[in-house]
Amino acid sequence: MNLRCALSAIFLAPSAVLACVPALPGAKVVESSRFAVAYRTQPERIAVGRHFTVDLAVCSKDGTPPPESVRVDAHMPEHRHGMNYKARVVPAAGGHYRADGLMFHMPGRWEFIFDVRSAGKTDRLTQSQVLD
Amino acid sequence: MKRSRIAGVAGASLAAALLTTDILFANPQFGSHSPGNLLTFPTGFTQAEIARILQHGPWPPALQRDPSNRVSGEPEAIAFGKTLFFETRLSGNGKSSCATCHLPGLHFTDGKKRGEGFVELDRNTPGLLNVRLNRWFGWDGAADSLWAQSVRPIVDKREMAASTTHVGKLVRDDAKLADAYRKAFGMGPQSDDDLVTVNAGKALAAFQETLVTPRTSFDDFRDALERGDAEAAKRYPAAAQRGLKTFVGKGNCFVCHFGPNFTNGEFGDIGIPFFAAAGRVDPGRYGGIQKLLESRANLLSTFSDDAARSSAAGTRHVSLEHRNWGEFRVPSLRNAANTAPYMHNGHLATLGDVVRYYSNLNEDRLHADGEKILRPLRLSEAEIADLVAFLESL
Repeated sequence: MNLRCALSAIFLAPSAVLACVPALPGAKVVESSRFAVAYRTQPERIAVGRHFTVDLAVCSKDGTPPPESVRVDAHMPEHRHGMNYKARVVPAAGGHYRADGLMFHMPGRWEFIFDVRSAGKTDRLTQSQVLD
Repeated sequence: MKRSRIAGVAGASLAAALLTTDILFANPQFGSHSPGNLLTFPTGFTQAEIARILQHGPWPPALQRDPSNRVSGEPEAIAFGKTLFFETRLSGNGKSSCATCHLPGLHFTDGKKRGEGFVELDRNTPGLLNVRLNRWFGWDGAADSLWAQSVRPIVDKREMAASTTHVGKLVRDDAKLADAYRKAFGMGPQSDDDLVTVNAGKALAAFQETLVTPRTSFDDFRDALERGDAEAAKRYPAAAQRGLKTFVGKGNCFVCHFGPNFTNGEFGDIGIPFFAAAGRVDPGRYGGIQKLLESRANLLSTFSDDAARSSAAGTRHVSLEHRNWGEFRVPSLRNAANTAPYMHNGHLATLGDVVRYYSNLNEDRLHADGEKILRPLRLSEAEIADLVAFLESL
């Protein structure tokens, strides 16, 4: 990689991301080609067998219409089962959402699933979360 | 609510991450330690295993009042509930009480394979010790509170075969019961039979909340690990330590039997036949969720005293899935040695039978969409004996 390419990687690529930074301090961010989703759990440390909520901020990347709906779910890929509870997602202002009713009922590796629907398509964004 | 499915889940994926070492009893260097510093506490357990073990305590846990039951923890209600628990007139024929099947001398079980009311029931009678710690009640979790669960057998035609009309009249007409009701609830029994019956359930719940098992040798070992107290830890029998290592290691039992009460409070299908009789299936959790959502006395109902419904999150969000067919509640393992027989239908007679069941698990009997970490453990006879020794220490 020559100097010009390196500078492009440093400055151009981040600028595309900076155009779509969901405003949620302290949140983890997961991205698809059309969306960036920041999420933060409450409480921050998820406990086995305890209900928790997820605060989300979603922003659309270049030219993508705002989300029509956001769905939050989770599963344990190795166990091949999901949660025993269905999260309810309530939208708030400014691209923010709150999902409540989630519970991870076993220790191990879970995977958050964020389905963001816009313009007739659904982007599925996932993120692993290991519970000790 | 009966002890069964003892060893939880078998399998390999998580076990692979828990590297094994010699166990505690075999480690001659066990002794020096830095109190409270797990990282330097030289047991035969790995640090990951110690962390797992610590998650199964402390015991007893801090007990909280049930916000959905305004008389939870109230002495007058506890006394009234105890009276009702042994009151045979609560039943339709005046001959059976809660204590007929939940015998105090048998750790609040009946010792039978399946419960017996007016007919033989489909399921094993659950024990009541530590029942207050449940999230769901009954093998199928059809009740979301201890007070709702306490009403269920009273009005079930197969069990005590009474009715809310019967209970309301009894409590109103009997001077002693009416007085005890007044002391517990601050007013005499109302004319609303449903309300009086639910309040009787709340008093019964208040009494059952007092039924908690004492500390055990496992608890002493667990706390010794936490303190870094090698001398105290040595007192835990070697066989139990070996069994514990299997429990938090290759057995993966802790995945379902998690936490101080050794249950995650949820449901699983482990391949126990769920034909209650020829041609009749026990739907397990699937039917339980349906009953829960249809109930007029769940935590979302007006009978709950939790105005904010903060305790109703599970009921509000529970999800009915096809995989719930044949799932039954993961029982606590505390006091399991005293609550035989095991499984939702009393299918297995001894703890040894239970461990052997998991050791030889028939994967063909598991649902295609069931738990995928269940695998036969293929334990040796010595390992089975060790796991039983551990279970007996709870």
